[in-house]
Amino acid sequence: MPKPPIRKPKKKANPLLAAKIDYIDYKDTALLRKFVSDRGKIRARRVTGVSAQQQRQLAKAIKNAREMALLPYTSTAR
Amino acid sequence: MSTPAPSRLRHYEVMVILDPSLDERTIAPSLDAFLSVVKNDGGTIEKVDIWGRRRMAFEINKHGEGIYAVLDLQAAPAAVQELDRQLNLNESVLRTKVLRPDER
Repeated sequence: MPKPPIRKPKKKANPLLAAKIDYIDYKDTALLRKFVSDRGKIRARRVTGVSAQQQRQLAKAIKNAREMALLPYTSTAR
Repeated sequence: MSTPAPSRLRHYEVMVILDPSLDERTIAPSLDAFLSVVKNDGGTIEKVDIWGRRRMAFEINKHGEGIYAVLDLQAAPAAVQELDRQLNLNESVLRTKVLRPDER
């Protein structure tokens, strides 16, 4: 009965990770690179569209990869 | 949080970055020497994966590249701790990371 709010939530992009990855490995740099910006920053969840749990695992994997110099902390793309 | 029995074996994954000036042929034997700590403690080495020379995202100790190796092992916590300690004491080891992949 109550009117729906005018601001409709954007259609959620389906999590890419539903594509059969259950353990996010920090060694898989090709995968992780999709979730960082060209400056090396971790992309927000509203951009990546993954679940909260996956986003946490992703962030952890990216940080582990950074420690081992597999991913940059920053890149001077500018 | 369970407190494991002292000799309980766990699955560990150890990544090592070695000095790029080392000869690649000497890597496997020298890693083997390090791993004797684990073997003598009753642990087993499941896999030694030497990635070889790889460009690093940033310099570590002034080196632009490093030799990466990933070790998969079943070992007691104390043995891995000792392995990590000995690796870090070695000058030709740039960095190490010990992980339990099945921690969750």
